[in-house]
Amino acid sequence: MLTKRQNLMETIKGGKPDRFVKQYEYMNFIMEAPMGAMVGPGQTIVNDWGITFTWPEGQLGGFPVHDDEHKVLKDITEWRKFVKAPSAIYPEERWAAAIEHANSIDRNEEFVTCFVAPGIFEMTHHLMSMEDALMALYEEPEDMHDLIDYLVEYELAYAKQIVDHLHPDCIFHHDDWGSQRSSFVSPEMFEEFFLPAYKKIYGFYKANGVELIVHHSDSYAANLVPFMIEMGIDIWQGVMTTNNVPELIKKYGGQISFMGDIDSGVVDFPGWTPEIIFEKTKEACESCGKLYFIPGASHGLNFGCFPGVYESNDEAIDKMSKEMF
Amino acid sequence: MSKIEDVKAKVEIGKSKLVPGLVQEALDEGNKPEDILQAMVDSMSVVGEKFSAGEIFVPEMLIAAKAMSKGVDVLRPLLAGDGASSLGTCVIGTVAGDLHDIGKNLVAMMIESAGFTVVDLGVDVPADKFVAAIKENENVTLVACSGLLTTTMPALKEAVATIKASGLNVKVIVGGAPVTPEYAAEIGADAYAPDAGSAAVKAKEIVA
Repeated sequence: MLTKRQNLMETIKGGKPDRFVKQYEYMNFIMEAPMGAMVGPGQTIVNDWGITFTWPEGQLGGFPVHDDEHKVLKDITEWRKFVKAPSAIYPEERWAAAIEHANSIDRNEEFVTCFVAPGIFEMTHHLMSMEDALMALYEEPEDMHDLIDYLVEYELAYAKQIVDHLHPDCIFHHDDWGSQRSSFVSPEMFEEFFLPAYKKIYGFYKANGVELIVHHSDSYAANLVPFMIEMGIDIWQGVMTTNNVPELIKKYGGQISFMGDIDSGVVDFPGWTPEIIFEKTKEACESCGKLYFIPGASHGLNFGCFPGVYESNDEAIDKMSKEMF
Repeated sequence: MSKIEDVKAKVEIGKSKLVPGLVQEALDEGNKPEDILQAMVDSMSVVGEKFSAGEIFVPEMLIAAKAMSKGVDVLRPLLAGDGASSLGTCVIGTVAGDLHDIGKNLVAMMIESAGFTVVDLGVDVPADKFVAAIKENENVTLVACSGLLTTTMPALKEAVATIKASGLNVKVIVGGAPVTPEYAAEIGADAYAPDAGSAAVKAKEIVA
């Protein structure tokens, strides 16, 4: 039996996996790695960039607050005055637990994985609201280019810290690039503003020993796949059914792999049942096949929003492995 | 190209700096303010259709709406009354417990561009606040409720039920990532729209 890591590599290289890769099993997340403050359930926080986030009790996630009082950047032309990157250097003792965790992992079995969020696009709209950020791409493109460069510099400084301390094999990087029906920006705009940014970021990781780049965008983004390949993404995690994943596999398999095709919204909700999860998992496995595809919910980490969902999805994938391998 | 056609074309491609001047030129040529407004509403219909068809994206829709808004600013003093449209007022909000605002804002923008007066209640709106807003505002013909989370779908259901139980004569349109046409029908909404462009089309249909 192949290790989780070997099985993943066989899957994405078009070799001979001996079972489906089971969701996030190949990634061992080093969540102890220091990173900026993140909002938790029921909290309101101001993070290191000055962005206020709130997470209503009982709901599924946090949101940046963008009323006039809280918006960090109200005028893109003044970004140099209002956007101040925090230090990417953390005291050595903040890395100790992460280093210990990374050292404990058998790298033949799993990928030592660092989690990075939010991404560059997300940062632009966290700072200034989605509407303002998207309009600024048209109205003040030079300032947006400069702001994005500034955000990339910060990411690269943090990336260097991650690489120096943990030597990760895999980076799991969030940046949502679309709604469930379309990408937020056109492919042309994406190519102009975000492709160069990610070529630098993912290029740095690849040049520094990271074997696998897994990018999370639980959205439609089929029109951006050529750019994903160009920037060095190995696996697009979060790919929703609206993307026609079997078609993407046919077109791009071998250059990139796809993880998802089970929309979290239809399996991870208060009234979930193992039967619903199995039905959706079976559909995904049968339509996408054994190569260049990792079945799993589109959610962007290794847990479900409701107790038992993630484990039930694992069980459904095990059943499909027995049927199809 | 006539000035009014020029206004239409420039709104469609979001030239917000040019549109006010062109609207003024169209007025100077003797065009009626109502006709210029209608031309801009028509351009936004095209924008909505292109968005629904995946030909354009959110930034293009945003800059087109901004261009129209700048044009309407020039027309407003010349339009009859307060310039409110015969389509009436639309009360819009994201339901209780849900803080997603982007989709709701896009729908508000497109519905306004279609000719409604929009009252935006924001996010995390309890069911009774929708009802209060219907009573407090004049000529409310439509309520648009958005829910983006599987966990707030019950709040969407409650919002629709509360509005319908109030007996007020308004139509209700719903949308949001987990919402389906079947779910919309099940909870008693009058219409469902999958995106901002089609929301404006549906809105006009159901209040007609």
